[in-house]
Order: sequence, then C-alpha cells, then structure tokens
Amino acid sequence: MADRVKLQIDGKTVEAPAGALLINVARQAGIDIPAFCYYDGLALQAACRMCLVEVEKAPKLLAACTLPVTDGMVVRTETAQVREARKAMLEFLLTNHPLDCPVCDKGGECELQDAVFRYGAGESRFTEEKLHVPEAQWSPVVYYDAPRCILCYRCVRICDEGLGVRALGVVNRGATTEIAPNRGDHLECDECGMCIDICPVGALTSGIYRYKTRPWEMKHVGTICTHCGDGCKTTLGVYGGQIIRGNNRDRSGINDEFLCIKGRYAFDFVHHPDRLRTPLVRRNGQLVETSWAEALDLVARKFSEVKARGRKFGVIGSNRTTNEENYVLQTFVRQGLGTNNLDHHRTGDVVSLVAALAGRQGALAASADLYQRKAALIVAADLAQQHPLLAFLLRANWRHHQARVYVVTPGPVREDSYAVRSVRAPSGEELAAVESLRDALAAEPELVILFGDSVKGERVRRLVEFGDSLGISVQYVCLLDYSNSRGAADMGVLPDLLPGYAPVEASGAPPGLTLPEMLDAPDLDVLWVIGANPLARRALTSKEAFVVVQDLFLTETAARADVILPAASAYEKTGTVTNTCGEVQRLRKAVEIPGTKSDLEIFGLLARRMGLPFGPWRPEEVWEEIRANVSGYNVPSALLAAGGAFPTFPASGLHSVRPKPELIRSAGDTLFTSGTLGRYCKTLSSVREAPGTLYRS
Amino acid sequence: MAVKTGDVLDSVAAIAKGLSVTLRELLSPTVTEDYPDAPPKFQERYRGLHVLRRDEQGMEKCVACFLCAAACPSHCIYIEAAENTAENRISGGERYAKVYNIDYNRCIFCGYCVEACPTDAITHGHGFELASYNTAALVYRKEQLLEPPKALTQAAD
Repeated sequence: MADRVKLQIDGKTVEAPAGALLINVARQAGIDIPAFCYYDGLALQAACRMCLVEVEKAPKLLAACTLPVTDGMVVRTETAQVREARKAMLEFLLTNHPLDCPVCDKGGECELQDAVFRYGAGESRFTEEKLHVPEAQWSPVVYYDAPRCILCYRCVRICDEGLGVRALGVVNRGATTEIAPNRGDHLECDECGMCIDICPVGALTSGIYRYKTRPWEMKHVGTICTHCGDGCKTTLGVYGGQIIRGNNRDRSGINDEFLCIKGRYAFDFVHHPDRLRTPLVRRNGQLVETSWAEALDLVARKFSEVKARGRKFGVIGSNRTTNEENYVLQTFVRQGLGTNNLDHHRTGDVVSLVAALAGRQGALAASADLYQRKAALIVAADLAQQHPLLAFLLRANWRHHQARVYVVTPGPVREDSYAVRSVRAPSGEELAAVESLRDALAAEPELVILFGDSVKGERVRRLVEFGDSLGISVQYVCLLDYSNSRGAADMGVLPDLLPGYAPVEASGAPPGLTLPEMLDAPDLDVLWVIGANPLARRALTSKEAFVVVQDLFLTETAARADVILPAASAYEKTGTVTNTCGEVQRLRKAVEIPGTKSDLEIFGLLARRMGLPFGPWRPEEVWEEIRANVSGYNVPSALLAAGGAFPTFPASGLHSVRPKPELIRSAGDTLFTSGTLGRYCKTLSSVREAPGTLYRS
Repeated sequence: MAVKTGDVLDSVAAIAKGLSVTLRELLSPTVTEDYPDAPPKFQERYRGLHVLRRDEQGMEKCVACFLCAAACPSHCIYIEAAENTAENRISGGERYAKVYNIDYNRCIFCGYCVEACPTDAITHGHGFELASYNTAALVYRKEQLLEPPKALTQAAD
C-alpha cells in the first residue's frame, strides 16, 4: 500500500497519507465537513451522522469521520443529496432541542446553531410537545441541560480518554438518553470544565459565566495562565472591565484545547474585594491608606538612605511577575542598590540542571516533546495534580502514539493507570528506584525525564549522569511551580547568578544572601518583597527592618510591611513569561484595576525618585534588552507577538554550581490550590474536591 | 403695447384655478395638528421612544439576549444580564436584563432593535418628547422604558 494516496474532493485533487480520515483530509484542504461527534484526537463515535458525504461507487452516503482515504477516491461534499441528508439530520436533532437560543449561553458560538443556519430547514414540521427535563447543577462550575444535549458524547470521551477521570457516563435509552455523572447527581472530578468547552451545543454550561453576557459582546484576550508552571494559553472574556470567562476554544497555544480549573475559572482573584487598591504605610503601628506619591517618596528616601550608609538590603522576587520585571528588578538591585542580596522562592532545582547539562543543546524538553517522544520517566511529581497540562500531553502521547511511561513517585498517581512500570520510592530516595529501571529505560529509543523538587542539588547531577549512561537521547524537564519560576531563575533573580546563569563573580562582586539568610539576618535594614509571601513560613529575625511589599493582597508578609504598594496581576499587564519547559510566551493585558500599578512601573517610579540612571521601562524595550543580553532568549519577537511559544535554552558558561538543596521546595499545590493567590480564588475553594491532596490517586 | 384679450382670459383662468384649490382646502377637514395644545396623532408604526413589554403573566419579555445591542448601528443599548431565581423571577426565560439602558443621545430610531428582538420585548412606542438641557437625562433606564404591569394599569382604568 502506498504511503500517500491521491483523491478528489469536490473536484480538487488532494494528496494525503494513506489511512487518514476523510474528514481531516478535507478540512486540511479547506473543505469544511460539518460534524458534531467527531473531535480531533478523540476516539471515533460516528453518532451524529452530520458528516455524510457522497463517495463515487459507494451505494449510499458515507460518514467522513470514520472513512479512511484510499487512492483514487472521488468525494463530493456539497451535492443536493448531501445537503438533503444534513437538513434531515438537523431536523431530527431539533425534535427535542429547545429553540431557546436567545437565553442559552452557547448562543452565538454554537455549532448546532451554525449548522442549522447553513443547512437547516427554515421551518419545523415537528408539532409534538418537546421533552422537558429540568436543568441540573452537577458542581459549582458545571450545569447540564438535558434537552439541549445532542448526544455526541464528546464530553464523555474527553473525560475518559483525554483526562482519564471517567466522571461522565450515559444513562437511559432512545429519546430519553442523557449524559450523567457517574456519581449520580454530582461530579467528583478535576472540575476542569473541558466537557463544557468541548460541548458543541449549550447542554453543558459554565456556572461561572452563566447568563452573564453573550460571546460577541466580550473582548477576547489571549494571555497566559498565571497559576502553575505549565504556561497554558487562556483566552479571557472581558465585559464591562471585568473578566467573566476563561477558555481556549480556539485551540491555540501549547495547550491546544486543554485547560484545568485554574486556567478556566481561577481568574476571580482579579476582582476579589480584598484586592489592595491604595498604597498603605505604617503610622503608629497601623497600616493607613496614602497616596502613591507619598508612599513612593517614603520608599525611595529609605532606600537611598540605607544605600548611602552601606547597610544591608534583602530583596525577594516573585515567581509570577514577568521576565521583564524580573530582569529590571535584578538590574535595579545590583546596579541601583548595589547588592546581590536577591532571591526568590525556588520551587525546583533548575540551576543544578542547567549546570549539569553544561550548555548541551536540545537537552531540555519542550512541551511538544511530551506528546511526541517515545518514552517518559516521571520522578517525584504528581503530574496530574501539579502539572495538569504536561500530564494531559503525556496521556495524549500514550493514547495516540503508545508512548511508554515510567513512574517513580512516593505515592500513587494517576499516571500509574497507563504506566509501563510504577515504582514507589520515598521522597529523596527516588534515584535508587530510577536505577532499578535502568535496563528497561536503556531499551527505549528516546526518553524525557521529568523531575520534581525532591531531585535537587547533587541528585540532579546524578540523574543527568544516569541519563547520559543510558546511551539514548534523553531530554529533561525540571518541574517548577507558578507561571514564571523558570523566568525568575533565567533572569537572575538569584544571589549568585546573573541573567542567563552567569556567575556573579564575573562582575567582581561576591554572591549575596539567599532567601532564608535574609530573613535570618539580625542586621537586615530593608526587606523588599515583590509578589511573594516568605513570612508565611518563616519569621523575619530583624525587628528593625523596613519592609516594603508589592502585592495584590494583604498577605502575611504584607501584614508585616511598613509600606505596601498595590501591584497589578499577570492578567493586568503585558510582558513575557517562561514556563517550566522553558517556553517563553507573551502576556496580554485583559483588564485594569484602578489604583494598582504594574511592578515594572513601580520600579521605574522608584528609580526616578532615587535619581538612579535608568528607567522608566516599557515592557517591549526591556524584552529587546533581554533578547540581546540573556543567553537563550534571542527568540523571534514576531512569533511571540503572534501568540506563539518559543523554547529558550540558557547555554552560558555555567558549569559548576554551589548546590543549595535546602532552598528548593515545591509549593505542593494540587489542582485546587495555587499558593497564596489560590486563597483569593473563590471558585477553586468552592468545588467539593478542594483542596485535594497529592499522591492519592 | 396693447393688452391682448387672450392673455387676460388666461390670467383669470389661472387665478380661478388657484383659488379653487384654496376654496376646496378651506372646506375640507384640517390636517394641521394643534400640538402642543392638543396631543399629536401618530401613525400606528411611528418609531418613538422604546417600550419594553411584559407577557400575559406580567413578566418582562426581555431575556437579555443582547441581539438588540448587536443590531444597533449606533451602539446605544447597554445591557447587564442576570439569572432568574425561584425567589426573584423577573422574566419568562432563565435570564433577564438587570440593567437595560438606551442612550437617546445616540439612538437614531431605526428600529433594528425591534426587528432583532426574538421575544418581541422591545417595541417602539409613540413617545417623542425627549428634548432635554442635560444629556445625562437622555440615558433612559429600564425602569423608564418598561411598560407598567397590566394589573396596575387595569386597576387604574
């Protein structure tokens, strides 16, 4: 059988790989065949009969979604017979589908509505009463309206196959068939909302977006989710200055159609009533509201004074601010304040990985590699909980390409269900278990190793040595939490490393204090915290320290502050972030919260007040500076501006590292928590599964 | 120059023809309206100030589908939707318009909103006295546009 076949669709000669499905081949050739049940990447259903086409020499119409193309096939998709069949199918689907489009949340972006508009009859011949079933609420985020359902089973399949959650099933027969949660009347699942997005009609609707507006009324802003480190693209629907919806219906970005509960629903922190909107300063022990000018003057005066006296600064950066902000922060601290006492909460040992790889190109896996490589090894991470996108991609790889997955974790994880081998090893002792898989791994043609926070310091080097000794192509992913942990490390928000992992000794200065060292230093004069909450876990030793906090909320750290500057969140600014796989992507500003300023703007205002020779900064200019100066970041700006993701690989001369394993600690977030920010996402805590536990699959 | 008899006759005929129109109009009923001393008369389909209608149960017909706002060429309709609850049922559908504003600074009375409405909720009434010294007063709220509940009007009759 030939590898490629030639066929004719609507008079157009098309070449396609043998065995490809006709519906896909036609769509790639720009010929749209309508279908409800067919969904790229899911098992075939052939339930809706909308994709019937005329094939020469076939006695009757054939379903394009299950028909592999063959050589010499002649297909017609727009004949009178085909149109009549579509019209009849739509009439059949509409026998029970209510015509409540003006009320339905799907109205305007409904596949059934579009199909009826194109192929349907102008009038209905159906005079009997339609079946009525009351709407059901399955969870705070999922509603099901049975009469609207056209039984395409996309939701059941995405839940079973795509996520491996199996929360949905089908009950009853014939006209009374319904989709139902396997728990009877409620969902116990990931609450990801994939079933809602994938539903071609308004049968499954979102509890968050419910009856708020219509799709064409919103401004759709494609940006990057600010929660975990996977860097999913989420399209925020903005109406009246409020974010009211998140989805990825256009299947753009590295995540294709996937989003978890955080990307889809956890944008509500933006409009949380506790959001700080005015600068606060401490007067007589109390935090009182003040103006931006007064607060900035106070901070600038204090910084200049402490700098002039040559006293001790401690600066803690964020895992959620943009690359531009992190880059400017380290410039500000190193050149403006003259110190290297700069650190952030390190959620994984990417520094040791970069050192161990010593500039070897192609050794870091991009997210697409998780879908393409033949084998993967997960070490010390509950991937489905901590990195939902990577888990989804890996599972899709297993479904589509029979990828072989190995698991070494301290407890049961969802990946066990399809893994070739699962080994339990207590935290910190995973490497021995990895060693026991040596023969199996060495027999694989290629491998991606994903490792969590307990593989750190010396162990990272040993893991890379193990990978090298297998004699196959091995790529690595150092799993990091939060949207820009990788960016914070890449941009040199570290006491001993400059942007691109260049050692600070190169600049002639000694390394600065690490995060715990700053908090423990009895003589610390200024603690400046940008978008972090270190005092939630560790007390500040220096009682005299002047604490400046830039944050969204009054966190434990902010409560100790002398000045609080209300900052803008990732959904309120532009810039770039780098995900755990090292792919850099662009943020787009969705809304503006009056009273707040982006961290970049705050740095600029402080620099001016302190009379420093730099700033103000614009994100686009800083990005060009990063491209020019940071190793691995010279990626095409145009591609990024168009919403693309580009892998970065820092390849500067870092070959040795002072391992600091005691600093590495994952946030341990589940699907339903997101660090300090997660506390302000009401949707996350509203579902019954919250807060969830790791290693309990 | 001598006056020609024919010209004189032509002039008399023209004056008579003209005056006949005057006399005929003098005797026919008047079409001039006495506004503002008397209320003006309207064609049935006159497009005046909008009225938001209620159904037989007195519920609002509007389900906040936003189609009027989408059809509006001057973008003068602003809607905020909300969900009906068992305790607070406003419209016949699942959703109702919590806020429904028409900005008469911008409205051009084209009637597209009325045509677009799938529930016949928005109609043109005959109100036209919209002039105001204050443009802010020209943004009409739902309460100003909504027809009064039937029960109330019947009680008043």
